Amino acid sequence: MSVPATTAKEKASAPGVHPRPLWSVRPSSDREAGDAVVSNFLLHWFPAKVAKASLDWGYSYWLGTVSAALLLLLVLSGGPLLFLYIPSVERAYASVKDIEHVVAFGSWIRSVHRLSAHLMVAAVFLHLVRVFLTGAYKNGTGRGQRREWNWVIGIAMLLATLFLSFTGYLLPWDQLAYWAVTVGTNIASSVPFVGPSLRELLLGGRTIDQPTLIRFYVLHVIVLPGALGALLVYHMWRVRKDGGLARADREALLAEKTAVPPTPTKTYTLLGVARGTGPTVRASTLEAPATTVNAVPDLVRRAAIVVLGTMAVISMLAVAVRSPLEEPANPLVTPNPAKAPWYFLWLQEIVTDTTVRIGSFTLNGAFLGGVLLPGLLLLVLTAWPWLDRSPAAAAGRWLPRSRRRQNTLFLAFCLMVVVLTLVGTFGRGPYWHFYWPWQERPEIPARI
Amino acid sequence: MKERSDRRDFLMKLGIGAGVAGLAGQAGASLRSLVPNVSYDAPTTVKLGLPGEFPDGLRFLPDQRLFVFREGNTFHAVSAVCTHLGCTVRAESLSQPETVSVGGSPLRVTHRFLCPCHGSRYSGDGTNVAGPAPRPLAWFRLSVAADDGQLVVDLADEVGRDFRLTVS
Repeated sequence: MSVPATTAKEKASAPGVHPRPLWSVRPSSDREAGDAVVSNFLLHWFPAKVAKASLDWGYSYWLGTVSAALLLLLVLSGGPLLFLYIPSVERAYASVKDIEHVVAFGSWIRSVHRLSAHLMVAAVFLHLVRVFLTGAYKNGTGRGQRREWNWVIGIAMLLATLFLSFTGYLLPWDQLAYWAVTVGTNIASSVPFVGPSLRELLLGGRTIDQPTLIRFYVLHVIVLPGALGALLVYHMWRVRKDGGLARADREALLAEKTAVPPTPTKTYTLLGVARGTGPTVRASTLEAPATTVNAVPDLVRRAAIVVLGTMAVISMLAVAVRSPLEEPANPLVTPNPAKAPWYFLWLQEIVTDTTVRIGSFTLNGAFLGGVLLPGLLLLVLTAWPWLDRSPAAAAGRWLPRSRRRQNTLFLAFCLMVVVLTLVGTFGRGPYWHFYWPWQERPEIPARI
Repeated sequence: MKERSDRRDFLMKLGIGAGVAGLAGQAGASLRSLVPNVSYDAPTTVKLGLPGEFPDGLRFLPDQRLFVFREGNTFHAVSAVCTHLGCTVRAESLSQPETVSVGGSPLRVTHRFLCPCHGSRYSGDGTNVAGPAPRPLAWFRLSVAADDGQLVVDLADEVGRDFRLTVS
């Protein structure tokens, strides 16, 4: 035996090996803290060190983490629903009714799923607003940063979230579902030339029937969650590659450039690359103890508070808030008024008001307001990081002076969306007529 | 030596190309399977009942999403599908019926149509008067079945608004 035997103690203290795997979230030294990230599977996607400032509650409001926690809840609550829901035109409604009234805790599970979905739309949107207002899609000091592309990924994730919600609320096959499919696919159909084929592809035929339900079902439970999951993984990976939040860059940018002598204690072992003595690296300001903390436990603790807190809030809300179920889908009667869920009401408002007539030529609002306008908005929003010419120092802080104009423009856009949503929610009565909240609305029979 | 590397290069490209073509073919075939070849649509010609069974004025046929109007012996049929985004419009009777000239022939108008989805409004002859509707409601051809004398609508045959079916 030429290899010297190692003692148990030496093994346990080898770099990259945490002495107590299960308690790696409570390290007793910096070394253990770094090793925790490497040795614990659940923590492996964290960096070893993280800028203190980027943990601020008031900087990010942890909206991305909240969104991810809601997605986790959606997957968890979707599990049992997968066993209980039957994607058949004849039986879908009855199976949802069973979930609501017969299955033990079914109503609560459905409420958790529905509330998480609603709040996820809100959280993802607010996350986007936060990233815009803090200019967090801007690259800072790090090499190889591609924050603008993470913004693009984020927008794709927002779209996936919206499509997940849309395909989700169709599944109960109630009146809301049926007329949402009717309107949604007719919007697709309004695209010149390819529209009708696109509608046929979405419906799996020319009428809304079993092929339609199974298509939306598969999109909802496999295609879209898979896509969103893949995008989420890439989104998180890019955050790591880009050196964390833009806030961290700002700290590095503003910090005095003092040369820190290479210290022999810093080794690559934190990454688990080398065993024993590793090459020394030059410690940058980022690793300076004054501005950074160990990811374990500081980042882990806050992430746990946010994730567990989100779960607790939703679990309790779901006890109090029941999920509605409208009448079974009835192709013969359109509800009056037929309203989309709140996050699509601003679009419903837009398609209401965008039919334009130029002489004898009429452009259907379905295309202008349902496809062209949202498409253009989306395009501008996606390309914004390349249009934004503000200095790098404007990134990583709220509402800086140098980005005042674009932030105002963006907030005006957000305000428009909010106002239209409010008008749609509270202002629209029978026949989509506008009523002030204090105005009496006519009683109109549900059927004719 | 030069020739050999050219050949390797060529074979490499051929291999990659064949792989890409194979994958594209399989993906194409998989996606093509989602485009329906058959559509089990309801028939477009539907018997609606004997003309005598229709009341004077309007009758709504939910299965066909159709309004059938009768004025004495003359009939005409107007679609209930909103031309904006396909919701079913509802008929609202006018307090004061009026006679207007539609397509050159007089028409007694008793109702107007309102859409519950985006607030489009149509006058009694189907003309879009307000809201986002881009076109008037469609009029469909009515005829009398040769075998049993029932009214028949052809939902695939749009007609002009001067169309009237007179049943003797």
